[in-house]
Amino acid sequence: MAMISAQTFFISFFGLAAVWFGVVVFRTHSMMRSALALLFSQTAIGAMFIGMQAEFLGVLQIMMMATEMSIMAIFMVMFMMDPGGLGKMDMTHQKRLSVITGLVAFVAIVAVAVFTDWGPLAGSVPDSAQQTEDLGLELMGRSMLIFETAGLTLLTAMIAATAVAVEPIKRNRD
Amino acid sequence: MTTALILLLLAVGAYLVAVIEAWTVSGRWQLAAPITAGIALLGRESIVPRKLDRVFFEVAPVLLLISALLAATVLPLTPGLIITDLATGALFINAALVYVLVALLMAGWGPNGAYAMIGGWRFLGQLIAYAMLIVMPVTAVAMRAESLLTTQIVTSQADLWNILYQPLGFVLFFVAAMALAFLPPFDLTTATSELAGGVEAEYSGVRLAVFRLGRLVLVITLAATTVVFYLGGWQGPWLPPWAWSAIKILAVTALMLLAGRVLPRIREADLLNLCWKLGIPLALLNIFVVGLQVLVWP
Amino acid sequence: MTPELFPALITGAALFGIGIYGALSQTNLVMLLMGVELILAGAMVNLVAFWHHLHPDTPAGQMFVLIVMTVMAVEMAVGFGVAIARFRAIGSVEMEEAAELKG
Repeated sequence: MAMISAQTFFISFFGLAAVWFGVVVFRTHSMMRSALALLFSQTAIGAMFIGMQAEFLGVLQIMMMATEMSIMAIFMVMFMMDPGGLGKMDMTHQKRLSVITGLVAFVAIVAVAVFTDWGPLAGSVPDSAQQTEDLGLELMGRSMLIFETAGLTLLTAMIAATAVAVEPIKRNRD
Repeated sequence: MTTALILLLLAVGAYLVAVIEAWTVSGRWQLAAPITAGIALLGRESIVPRKLDRVFFEVAPVLLLISALLAATVLPLTPGLIITDLATGALFINAALVYVLVALLMAGWGPNGAYAMIGGWRFLGQLIAYAMLIVMPVTAVAMRAESLLTTQIVTSQADLWNILYQPLGFVLFFVAAMALAFLPPFDLTTATSELAGGVEAEYSGVRLAVFRLGRLVLVITLAATTVVFYLGGWQGPWLPPWAWSAIKILAVTALMLLAGRVLPRIREADLLNLCWKLGIPLALLNIFVVGLQVLVWP
Repeated sequence: MTPELFPALITGAALFGIGIYGALSQTNLVMLLMGVELILAGAMVNLVAFWHHLHPDTPAGQMFVLIVMTVMAVEMAVGFGVAIARFRAIGSVEMEEAAELKG
């Protein structure tokens, strides 16, 4: 057996953890467990990013996804019929179509990934402090337009979501 | 070696936090009280509710302790004493401390009890309020230090501590840190008089001991973070660096624990109102002002 | 064949497949959004793998991942706003009942 480096081992381990938690999301009956399984899947993905030496992205992913998935947890408890999962309801439709589509997508992407020659591998990755500085300079320099557009899009989304979610004022007061 | 030393210092720190908290409540220095209380908790029977979510119930106190410990791994207590000097240290502290929320949600949902569940969801509401107030002052601090390395942040305060350079940021970060550690007046999560203990209500025995220990380590980690970001870390005139770190961390802890004794408990709606209408514009103003300062005084 | 990329790319493909299964099979809007989150996460894993192995000197790769994270947050926020409005109007967020525009 060839010697696998520590980096490949960690990436594979966290990749397996991410996929396993992703499967748990749709297999468990308890809604809260589903939301927190998705949270830990995203944490494993963040750990994969750190393993692939993209430290800023990994830490950012871990931080943001914990908050987002916790908010998703409260929305599940608000909107779903059996958040505790004790009733064991089946909440799926078009099962065969979705399983087949999922499998076909997986096999197609793996085939493309395995059989393509992705070109020469790069040598070394710059260290984390240098990466963070480069990313900051890139954000503020060449990609400033993208950054500003993303900021405006976020603001619009915040206002739109608040406007849609606000309780409409009852007009018939007497 | 460094890891063992820092863990030992955190344990001593947690003990001192418990002593200071008892002092703020009763006014007397009960030095043996935390140890005897801990041993009593370990010896008590662990009552487990019926029909609970076993995974969440068991994992929640441990996750609280682990997330506080993880946040403490990137804090420098003296120039050489840091477990791992990550290049994105200041951001990693926030990432680790978010798992306090996950732990409290698990602790709220796990025991299958009404009071615990309400306590857990109340903490989520509090997070919406304090999350921005924790991250934005850190942005201003990192702007001055031009790096996210925690050691760099401390050395950048060599001529003027950040509490004087960015006082607005300090106030906002201090308030948000108290809200993160669910200390009074932000302790709706574990409100003893209102929710019968909230998230702590269904825990007893060993798990309650781990939960309380996790909370103490969280308080001291947040005090250490405030000292690193705003009070110049280990820097000071005559005493050695570790003495200055210890004095500053204990002073900040005492201040955090005392502030809850004079303010009434804040409701969720009022906290959200204050933080979003007043806190976030002030945090943005802080970033703007610090940016001007960094450009004008190099 | 470049075997160094395999663990990350296969993980990305698996997350994408699970996400598509979730997005197509779930009847509740919140579960469907979770499927979409998994799809975007799979794409991000692939992006970082390509950045790390093929172009580590260009920060633009990391920029792309930041934008995808922003899109995830925005899409979740607007999706939950729509879910709240629908829940107020109808009383549930099931996809089976959303087959018509009326009501």
